[in-house]
Formats: sequence, structure tokens, C-alpha cells
Amino acid sequence: MATGSSLDLAPRYRLPLFLFAFIALLAGVFGGLLRIGWPLPAVSGNTALLHGPLLIPGFFGTLIALERAAALSRRWAYAGPLLTGLGVIGVLLGSTQTGAALLGLGSLVFAAASLAAYRRQPALFTASLLGAALMLVVGDGLWLFQGHIYHALLWWLGFLVLTIAGERLELSRFLQRPPNAEALFGVLLIALVGGPLLGSWQLDAGARLFGFGLVALALWLALYDLARRTVRLTALPRYIAYCLLSGYAWLAVAGAVMLGAGLTPGRLSYDAALHALLLGFVFSMVLGHAPVILPAVLRISLPYRPILYLPLLALHVSLAVRLLGDALAQPGLRSVGGLLNALALGLFVIAILASLLSKKPQNQANSASGGGSARRITISAKTSVSKRQ
Amino acid sequence: MSEKAPLPDVDRIEEALRQVIDPEVGINIVDLGLVYGVEIAPGQVGVEMTMTTPACPMTAYLTDAVTQAIQQYQQEPVDVTVKLVWDPPWHQGMMSDEAKAHFGWHPGR
Repeated sequence: MATGSSLDLAPRYRLPLFLFAFIALLAGVFGGLLRIGWPLPAVSGNTALLHGPLLIPGFFGTLIALERAAALSRRWAYAGPLLTGLGVIGVLLGSTQTGAALLGLGSLVFAAASLAAYRRQPALFTASLLGAALMLVVGDGLWLFQGHIYHALLWWLGFLVLTIAGERLELSRFLQRPPNAEALFGVLLIALVGGPLLGSWQLDAGARLFGFGLVALALWLALYDLARRTVRLTALPRYIAYCLLSGYAWLAVAGAVMLGAGLTPGRLSYDAALHALLLGFVFSMVLGHAPVILPAVLRISLPYRPILYLPLLALHVSLAVRLLGDALAQPGLRSVGGLLNALALGLFVIAILASLLSKKPQNQANSASGGGSARRITISAKTSVSKRQ
Repeated sequence: MSEKAPLPDVDRIEEALRQVIDPEVGINIVDLGLVYGVEIAPGQVGVEMTMTTPACPMTAYLTDAVTQAIQQYQQEPVDVTVKLVWDPPWHQGMMSDEAKAHFGWHPGR
């Protein structure tokens, strides 16, 4: 057994936390469709208003906190996603204030877990993950105490971007990076944190600075990310690489729009920037990592299947439609794009379920063909082998 | 008189470990330099390994995969124990030349 497992929460207890996240996703998407004018029944009165909070501190806050708790392998850390999950329920039941407070408390536990991870391994990437958690705390606090989502928004975006950036920085350690690659990363982190800070006084200027940080991050990833290499492999690693690289393209688009147009609520550029970032970049990461994280956190088998490319393609096409509607100032086309976005996500859920329920293929889920079995096996020089009679 | 369980086949252990691939990276854990040691005894295999980061959510996934792979590749049933160690901490230099080539390292560095 892996060390530390007796201090960890058994996978079956993690499933309800994951379900909280899923409820947040459903409700958030539902609210989003209402916002762009689709005549759905208003089952819960406030989902349209709470589209952002349901998805960012709700869905992503719970999901990422759950992943962090599993990485830490400590029971106390699971209080984070439990609290945020309860916050989602509170919000959906109509107690927005209580729900927001629970989301905030959950984010504090998540920040503590992220601090523990940093202390295990002090490095720029764990600092980025910790910074991300702190940005979620600030965003949640601003929403709770000031009541307006726009105060929290850049902080919430920062939480997501710094989380992903930190994890990509960690994985880039396999590559032979020039010595100033990490320094460059540090510089763009400053823009990504400085943006929300500045935005607290001047939302427009802060959004533009943040947009600059997004473009810089997209360039950094184009130069230094592992996906450039893994895209040459096959099966699951290649699929993940396609998700990543297509996501980075949308990251650049989102950054360019924010740099050029700021982030003014009500404008179509606002819709374009947010959804290029959140659907195009962040959800591409979700699509890429689900086949890896779900087995890791829930200890289930999720065989890779090429059908997973279908929801990825649907996501990108639907986002292109949506952004075309924004660019042409055609709200009708934007709304069609938004509906297609929701359908793409639904397709993704179906693909995951289909993979879960299907028979495991002969090769292991984690195998990348074109690697090992035909080669002569020799004992690795770095592995010691000892025998006991 | 009870028969002693046979000593596990070391070559098969190596082959099994090379089937365990980090899906984010596309390289097996031996070439990544994550496997620090293997200890064999009659009917038993012990693996000492590390992760690239102590805050890795993939830990249980990879250690489970190691156990399954080793058991699949042995002729006789074996008890597999996987122990996570953090010392020495993993660094890039622990990767095999093949892994480095895969990641585009320039030779001689």
C-alpha cells in the first residue's frame, strides 16, 4: 500500500463530493442557457444570475479542491470540497448568502491544503497552485461581502489560470528548458496576479493587464509546454496533447480580446473573452484530464477511447460559432453557439459514461502504443535489484 | 513438507514496470527514473518508487498500475508491495537517455 493511505479518505466517500461538483456544473450550464435567452423552465429561481458563481467557485472550486485533497492524501483536506459542495446546494436552495459563505469557507480549506502541498515541495509551480487558491479565497470573499460578481470575476479567472499554469510548469520539468524559462514564467505570473489587483480599482485596466498575462502565458506554453512532444505519441497521451494545444489557442484568443477590449459586462466582447477562456481553454483542460483524474481520484477504470475526440471537436466548433456571433454583433448566433456549447459538454459527459460502462480493452488504459513490448528488456542502470531468500 | 514459493522472475518484473506509463507524459516509469529499487523474495515483490512531485494526484493510480502489471507478468501469484519514497527527490537527470531523447534533449547534456 502506498504510504499515507491510512490518513486518506477512501474513494467511495469522495464520490458524493464529485457529485456536488456535477450538480454545480448542470445548474451552472442551465443558468447560462437562461442568460442567453433559451426558454427553459426556471427550476431554481436564481441559476441565471448565479451562472458564474455556480461554475467557478462551485464546479471548479469543488473539483480542483477534491483533486488537491487526493494529492495530499489527507482526510482534513476533503472538508474543502465538502464545504464548497454544500455551498452549491445552499445557493441552489435560495440561500445565496449562506451558500456564498460556505463556498468561501471551503476555499479557505483548499488554500490550507495548497499551502501544505507547497511546504512538501517549495517550488515555483507549487507556489502558483497556492497563489491560485488564495485568489479563489479573495474572489469568494469579495462576492460574499460586496455582493457583486464583477468584483470577484478577475480573481476567479486568476484562480483557474494559475492552477492550470502551475500544473503545466510542473510537467515542463521533463523538458530541457533554458535557465530563464522559469523566470519568464514568474514574470507573467505577476501580470496574472497584478491584473485582478489593479482591477479592484480600475476594472478595465486590470482586465487588460490580465489579458496581457494570458497572451504571455499562451506564448510561454507554445514554447515550453510538454504537449509539443506528447502530441507525437499515440492514444491517450496524444489525445491529452490535442486538448492542451487547442486550449492554448483559445487562451491566446481570450487574452487578445481582453487586452484589446477590456472586460466590460454587457458587451459581446465580454462574452467572447470569458467563454474563449473558460470554455476554450479551461474546459479543454477538463476534457483532456478527465481520463486521468477520474481514475486517480475515484479509483475507477476509464479506458481511453478515440470517441473522446468527438466532444472536443464539438466544443471547439460550438465556441467558434459563439464567438462569430459575438464578433458579428449577432446575439441570435451567439445564443445558438451557447446552446451548442452546452450540447458539447453533454456529449462529453455521455462519452465519459460510455467509456466507464464499456469493457476494458486488452491493453491497459494507460498504455501508449509504439513504446515498449518489442524492445529488448534490460535492467535499468538506475534501478537496484536485491534478493532475499 | 510445504513447497517454498519460487523467486519471482526479475526480467518479467522489469518488463511489467515498463508497461506502467504516466499518461500525461507518455513515458514509462522506469525510463522516467521513478523506480528506485526492486526487492524480491519467494512469492513477493517489493518496489520502491517515487513521484515527480509529492503533491501528485496520480500517485494511487500509478502504484495500483505497478501492482497490477507485476502480477499480470508473473507466472506464479505474487504479493506486491509498493513503497513511496521521497529521498532522493526526483530530478530530470534521473531519466533514461531514451526518455531524454523523447523529450528533445540535446545529446551530451
